[in-house]
Amino acid sequence: MVDIIYPLSFLAAASALLALVMLFAKDALTCAMALLGVLLSTAGIYGMIGAHFVATIQLVVYAGAIMVLFVFSIMLLNLKKLGDRFPITSPRFLIGAVSGLAIVGAGTWGILQWIPQSYGTWDNQAMLAAGGNTRILAHSLFTQHAIAFEAVSVALIVALVGAVTLAKRKFE
Amino acid sequence: MLTVTHLPQVLALFLFVVGMLIVLLRRNTIVLLMGIELMLNAANLSLVAFARSQGQLDGQIMVFFVITIAAAESAVGLSILVNLYRNFGAVTTDRAQTLQG
Repeated sequence: MVDIIYPLSFLAAASALLALVMLFAKDALTCAMALLGVLLSTAGIYGMIGAHFVATIQLVVYAGAIMVLFVFSIMLLNLKKLGDRFPITSPRFLIGAVSGLAIVGAGTWGILQWIPQSYGTWDNQAMLAAGGNTRILAHSLFTQHAIAFEAVSVALIVALVGAVTLAKRKFE
Repeated sequence: MLTVTHLPQVLALFLFVVGMLIVLLRRNTIVLLMGIELMLNAANLSLVAFARSQGQLDGQIMVFFVITIAAAESAVGLSILVNLYRNFGAVTTDRAQTLQG
């Protein structure tokens, strides 16, 4: 049994740093690349803690489709010339940073007090014995959550039509 | 003690707060949408880590739905953004103040 805490903390540190890059970068494309790094690190974390199917979905949908959409929009609108100046010494930013740090500090303290307790039976060994994460998840998705699955597919169709209509239409 | 169970929760909290700060402080609407994606990603991470530590599957199922809805949300949001750019010639939030009265 290999201890996964070291690669896990490496990925966590990488994604935390890249999130800070997103906050401070002026260029929108830099932000997009940093977000891509965060999503890839998160996919690695999912894979390492045993959620293999979610890791794959994260890679294909989030890091693939959504990021392509973002980069495409940045290229289409040619946002490079805008140069979003970020006011690092403004009171707005200072108040935000201080309260954010307070929330993170208090929350981290609270999380470290938490003693986890398992209520279910699906630990990694049980999943492996029952045929792997993807198989169990698919079975649960198409039996117990079938109606939610169909509802989400309807929502996707509505969003697709809405996005095309919104982008095509000329508002006066 | 920072264990495998606690570390993803701490990271999710940090990512959520950074995403919130991006949404509150940045003026570029496309970066603002990226902040929303970062917050959704943090919530997903928390759900998956809880699903692991509680030994249940429902968290992972919920993450599947959240990712799907996030894809729909970003598609609609980016098409709104294209319209914003067409009408105002910029994508910063301080140019789109016509509803402010």
